[in-house]
Amino acid sequence: MSAFLTYLLNGLAVGCAIALIASGLVVIHRVTGVVNFAQGTFAVVAGLCTSALLGLGVPHGLSELVAVLVAALAGLLTGLAAIGKRDTTPLSSLIVTLGVGVLAYAVEIVLWGDQPRSAPGLAGSVTVAGARIQTQHLLVIGVTAAAFALLALFFGRTYLGKALTACASNPYAARVVGIDTRLMGLLAFALGGLLGGIAGVLVTPLRPISFDTDVTLIVNAFAAAVFGALTRPVITLAGALLLGVAETMAAGYGYGSHQLEVALGLMIVVMIVQASRRSAISQEPT
Amino acid sequence: MIRLVAGLLVAAVTLALPAVLDDSALAVYILLGLAAMVTVGVSLLMGYAGQVSLGQGAFYAIGAYTAALLSLHGVPPVAGLVAAPVAAAGSALVIGVPLLRLRGHHLAFATLAMQLILLSLAGQLEVTGGDIGLQAIPQFAAGSFEAGSAAAYAYLTWAGLALVMLVTRNVIDSRPGRALRALATSETAAASSGIPVGRYKLVVFALSAAFAGLAGGIYCFYTGYVAPGSFPVLISIQYIVMAVVGGLGTIWGAVVGATAITLLVQGLNSLAALPGMPSYAPSVLSYAVYALVLILVVLFLPHGLLPALSGRLSRKRDAPPVETR
Repeated sequence: MSAFLTYLLNGLAVGCAIALIASGLVVIHRVTGVVNFAQGTFAVVAGLCTSALLGLGVPHGLSELVAVLVAALAGLLTGLAAIGKRDTTPLSSLIVTLGVGVLAYAVEIVLWGDQPRSAPGLAGSVTVAGARIQTQHLLVIGVTAAAFALLALFFGRTYLGKALTACASNPYAARVVGIDTRLMGLLAFALGGLLGGIAGVLVTPLRPISFDTDVTLIVNAFAAAVFGALTRPVITLAGALLLGVAETMAAGYGYGSHQLEVALGLMIVVMIVQASRRSAISQEPT
Repeated sequence: MIRLVAGLLVAAVTLALPAVLDDSALAVYILLGLAAMVTVGVSLLMGYAGQVSLGQGAFYAIGAYTAALLSLHGVPPVAGLVAAPVAAAGSALVIGVPLLRLRGHHLAFATLAMQLILLSLAGQLEVTGGDIGLQAIPQFAAGSFEAGSAAAYAYLTWAGLALVMLVTRNVIDSRPGRALRALATSETAAASSGIPVGRYKLVVFALSAAFAGLAGGIYCFYTGYVAPGSFPVLISIQYIVMAVVGGLGTIWGAVVGATAITLLVQGLNSLAALPGMPSYAPSVLSYAVYALVLILVVLFLPHGLLPALSGRLSRKRDAPPVETR
């Protein structure tokens, strides 16, 4: 029973990290209609950056903050490449973000080498109902909860957040009332970078990050985002938690080598079920 | 007339090259031909059926593993080489039925997921040799002829490429080819004109998989071993880069794109091998080249290199080929 509880809480922590990356994906997709393939890259950039800064002797807290800001900057640059030029179709933008992800490989190897890097996180563990939980896992869960609460406040209570929501629901009407949709799109990319960066900083102490970890991260995040049809953050969070728990349980009970297949298979099934419920007309560009 | 002369010239150069190149240059020549073969399929799929596949490397792998497994179990290599595209097309038909209900980025991620699953399975199963893969694959042989030299594989590769291009040209010129072009513009409009959209998309998916499978089959005989590490996700991205650079929906564009990217990466590799360069230089340079070329071409030459060049030469502003969507 205590093993079950450990797996459950560890799974929730893994799911929270996925949820942060996936929420960046959702924010960008809602505002710009672009699926950002480089979303996992932001986490990798932040993770490698924080581990390098800690290695240089920069104190905790500051190095994490710098790493998250670097990831936000990476998000902004990705946005400039993907939607900076007018009349870029969403699928072209997807291919551009794919290119950005590969370009990031080159930059990451030059800056931080091609070996996996880790970073020290919160040490120690606490015992909850007989189950030992690493403090870092609790930190991940706490930060994710705070991040989602802040996101909800930002989108619901601030003018900027409402402007972003306006772009998401009807870009034409948003332009009519004087909102610069392209600027909002860039802002969404920066926000996506920020969220991905937070995830990267949190995950690096739990598992070593190398330059090509982004493929697993983005595929997991996309799988979670697919639950919410790439538009609904709360369902995305639920999907990510489900995914994290399912993967950790599979690993914990001896099917560890198959956890990637579990996640990917689940994603494909969800997508196919969703696709069969929509008509082709609603999905075609006009 | 000019086209005929140009075609003959290209054919003559293609046939003459294996005789004059040395072994290391031949290796590039063969890999170029194999990449072009897969890229023709990707170009057909993206340009005409309007579908993005990020998992084309999976069919390349299926072809390679099929040919390798068959010839390791004593089946004649010719049968193995024939079985490679058949197995790839067959699995594309099976996978495609559920997967092709998806569109756009959903399909892109689903095909990527498919390749990741396949690689993970190939790395775990006993039959496929796990992460080590299959080794000591016999040389390709047909009757009394045995392909012992690299030049023989070069001829085999480019004969395969010629076959793939011929098939593609005939498909595009046929009635189904026109239907495919209609389908790429608007599925709804195509369906209301009586085009069986789903079936055509599936057939093109299978055809492009067969091309990749054929290339994979030749690859396994040439290198003599296959392992999951030979088919990383990056290889699928590389085919997309080549197809986009050359120009989607153009047969020669695929060959031009594959040639341009292969030669560029090869040139940079020899640059990176110069003394004084850091050990990570080759991979960094090739990642950077793939990425920058892909981004710049998608943004500034959306119809690709070949249509842009030929449009400039002929000064004709006729209808551009299929839109990049």
